[in-house]
Order: sequence, then structure tokens, then C-alpha cells
Amino acid sequence: MNKYAKDYKINMDDDKKISVNETYLRTLEKRVDDLRTLIEVSSIISSTLDFNRLISLVMEKAKNVMNAEACSILLFNKHTNRLEFAYAISKEKSTASILKKTFSLELGQGVAGWVAQNLQTVIIEDVANDERFFKEIDRFSGFTTKSLIAVPLVGRGGLIGVAEILNPKDKPCFCHYDEELFSTLCRQITTAIENVKFYQESIEMEKVRQELEIASVLQKSFLPDSSVFKRGAIEVAAVNIPAEQVGGDIYDFLEPVEGKIGVFVGDVSGKGVSAAMYMAKIISDFRYKARLQEKPNVALGNLNDGLLKGPMGMFVTAVYIIIDVNTGVLSVSNGGHPPFLLIRDNKVEVIDIQGGPPLGIINTEYPVSSMSLNRGDRLLLITDGVFDAINRSGLRLGFDDLVDFISNLEDKNNLVDSIINYVNEYSEGTGRSDDLTLVELRYN
Amino acid sequence: MVTCTSMKIELINRNGVVVISPSGEIDMYSSPLLRKELISFTKKKISPVIVALRDVTYIDSSGIATFVEALKRMMPYNGKLKIAEIPESIMKIFNFSKLDKVFDMYESIDDAIKG
Repeated sequence: MNKYAKDYKINMDDDKKISVNETYLRTLEKRVDDLRTLIEVSSIISSTLDFNRLISLVMEKAKNVMNAEACSILLFNKHTNRLEFAYAISKEKSTASILKKTFSLELGQGVAGWVAQNLQTVIIEDVANDERFFKEIDRFSGFTTKSLIAVPLVGRGGLIGVAEILNPKDKPCFCHYDEELFSTLCRQITTAIENVKFYQESIEMEKVRQELEIASVLQKSFLPDSSVFKRGAIEVAAVNIPAEQVGGDIYDFLEPVEGKIGVFVGDVSGKGVSAAMYMAKIISDFRYKARLQEKPNVALGNLNDGLLKGPMGMFVTAVYIIIDVNTGVLSVSNGGHPPFLLIRDNKVEVIDIQGGPPLGIINTEYPVSSMSLNRGDRLLLITDGVFDAINRSGLRLGFDDLVDFISNLEDKNNLVDSIINYVNEYSEGTGRSDDLTLVELRYN
Repeated sequence: MVTCTSMKIELINRNGVVVISPSGEIDMYSSPLLRKELISFTKKKISPVIVALRDVTYIDSSGIATFVEALKRMMPYNGKLKIAEIPESIMKIFNFSKLDKVFDMYESIDDAIKG
């Protein structure tokens, strides 16, 4: 007990009195102040979602309540596997900017690196006698570290970073009580950082969602204005259902020369914005290269040439049919696309013509095949999303089972609707993972 | 061995030749893992790169795109991407996509090494 401490008498009730000395009273006052600070920090955490402002306010409070010369926060970068200075305050304002620009630590490097690696709080009375201390930091910042507490910030998703408090102003080193107090503050700091990160991520997700919405509208604008196309005795109808807001399936109808129509169905590898952009390039290239071209193999070959310099992992499977609107005679070329179906006299036939590889991979020529349709014949062109549907047991529908389903349909008049209903029922509760496109060509 | 939810990758040393052996489904979720493995080979300009698909149950266009990317990365140094032990269900997907015209395919790993 401090020999200079005075005794104080406190009246509790009329008949009860207790005596405390001044040191005890000062300690109590300090603890009440500390509790007040913790409550203030709690209210700061719920008052702002601005990361820099939040960390600045919280660390300023921490520095004051700990009566320390400096404090810092290093955040763990999962991509680089290093700790990076996110915030530092000391009496020299330049210290923070020096640290942020110059320093990041490997796990295990320096005291902070050790704490991050071992997920343990350390209290060091004299860093000069601790070999974990990384002296370069002081040399660059101009700050002299004497004593410190370093606490790992561990959130629900694992390590977030490390907080350090440096050099107590009123004593040579930190004590156990300081460690408890700083650890409590650090738990609040961890919650604060997690809240801010969650908020930032939700904003980013919202931005992405909005961009996907715009991309989806743009993508739809690349497809034909109408999903139905009629010329002479030929009628073509298409249904395209993207798995995500933007998908990689394509279809197009055009009239390359008078009296003939071209029907193109394609499936770009991958999904999302990159697939949609690739799809946009393909459809604009196709419209240019298919114009005035009566041979589907030449059109596909020219399209392939233009795609060879595209992104390395991207390609498109495609089938292109050019049909005479009066005679029903058609020529067709296939680049790695699934076979199409001929529905004739209520029977289904799989048309697996000789084809070439998907477009955009290797320099090649595409074979061409010919066939004649009879009045009443229908062709069904699909993308693999139709038969790659998965059910709740994880089983894929498969091309053969899809063909069986179509073959067994008594009423094949509403073929496309029947198939979509079947695929939706098959994959009910699983969520569709691929785009789904069906194009039906009728020779009336 | 590296793993993700639907796929595992094992590297097999067959007489000094490293064979990449994925198992499970190669889809949009698992293909980045296979891509990482293949790219680590192509960066070192290794040839041939042999991939054994014996234990693969499904491959989608993202998976095929991964092989296509590796193949294109190997073209400048005349590297060979060889695919071996292809199960019937996967061969059907490759046949649909006419990928026999793109990749060198072999019945066994030994054939791929010799070929």
C-alpha cells in the first residue's frame, strides 16, 4: 500500500461507514473510466460503417485509455498471406504513413507475425530483450518501441489481423490488467472490422447485382427482336432461359440470301459476364460473316478464324442450318454442338452429322451435310443445358433419356413447352446450373 | 492431394512422368482447381502433360474450357496435352463436342506415355 495514500471514509447509510485508501479509490476511478471507454467504443462501433473513421476513433480511444504512446492495427491479407499496416497512430503523424507505405509482415515475422501465426496474445516488458521484435520497423518509422501488447484479431472466418499498443506513458511496461483491458477492446475491434467488411461486401454484391442486371438487358438486346421468325413455309421459334442473369447461350435467325433462312444455335463455354461478352462478340461477328454466305460450313469456318485469338479458355459450340424456305432442302454444319432432333410422322430421329470441333480452339475446316425436310417435319436444336439438368439425387437427365421422353410424348404439338416443363420438374428444388435454349424449326 | 467439394486431384508418378488424375465432377466450381494444376505444368513448359480421367464422373463446358486453355498455352512450345483412361460417359461428352479432333486421347496412361 502506498504510504502517502490518504484514507477516505465513505458514508453508505446512516449507521454504516467504510474506509478506503486513496490508491484504491484512484484504481476504482480508473476502472470506471475504462468501463466508460468500453461502452463508448461499443457506441462508436454501431455509429459508423466507414472503416477508416471507425478504426481511427476506436484506436484513438484505445490509445488514450491505455495511456500509451502509440498503437497500430495490421490486417491479414489472405491473398498475399501477409500482415499489412492498416492503421497506426503515434505522436509523430508521419509514422503511420511510413508504416502503411513501407511495411507488411510475413506470418511469423516480428511480434505481430508471431501473434498472427500462434493466435496468442503477448505482452512484452522490454522489446530489446525479445528476439521476435522486428527492429526494421522502428528504424524506418523513427519510433522507439519499448514495451508492447499484441493481440490477435480473430473473427468468425479466422484471422483478421493483429492490434498492438506500444509504450505506456506512466510506467515502464504494461501490466496484466492492461492486457485484459486491451484484449477486451480488441474483441470489440474485431466485431467492428467484421461488421464493416460484411457491409462493404454487401455493397459490392449489390453493385455486381446491378451490373448483372444491366448486362442481362444488354445481352437480350443481342438476340433477335422476336423469338419467332417466319419466311415462306418455314417457321422458327426459340426459347432461351439463362441459368444466371447473364448466360452464354446464343440463337439467331437471319436471311443470308433471298429465299433462304439461317438458324444458328450456340453455347459459349462458361457463364456470367465474361461468357455474355464473348457471346456478344460472336453474334456480331456471325451476323457480319454469315451475310450473303450460302454455305454454313464456310460461315462457321470464318467465324472460327476470328475467334482463334480470343481468350484462351473460351470457345463456342455451334450448329448452323441454312434452309430453302420453299423446298425444305437444308445444309447444316456443326462445330462441337450436340446432335439435333428430327420429328417426322410423330417419330423422333437423332441427327448426328459429321462435325468439327467447337469454334475458337484450333484452325480447321468444317464439314457440311445436306438433308431434305418433308412438309410437317420439325427440327429441334438444343443446348446441353436442356439434358444436363440435375435432379435432387444428383443424377443428370442425359441426352438419351431426353430423347426417350420426347419419343414417348403422345402429343408433340407443344414440344418445346412439354420439354421445358419436364426439365423443370426433373430439376425441381435443385436450381438450374446451365442456360437452356431450344429452337424449333417447322416446315409447314 | 488437393481437394474441393466435388473433385479431388492426385498427381501420379508413372516412370518419371507426372500424371494429373482428377476424380469426381469437373464443373464450374471445381475446374479452377484443375486449371491451377494444369497452369503450373504449362508455366514450366512441361510436355507431355497427361491427364487421366478414369475417376471423373462428369465434365461440363467449364471443365472442357480448362483443357482448352491448357492446350492453347502449350501450343507456343509445341507441348502435347494427352488425355487418357476416358470413361464411357465422359467420352460421350467429348464425342458430342467433337473434341477428339482437338485433344490426343489414349486408352491407358502407358499408351499416352508411349504415344
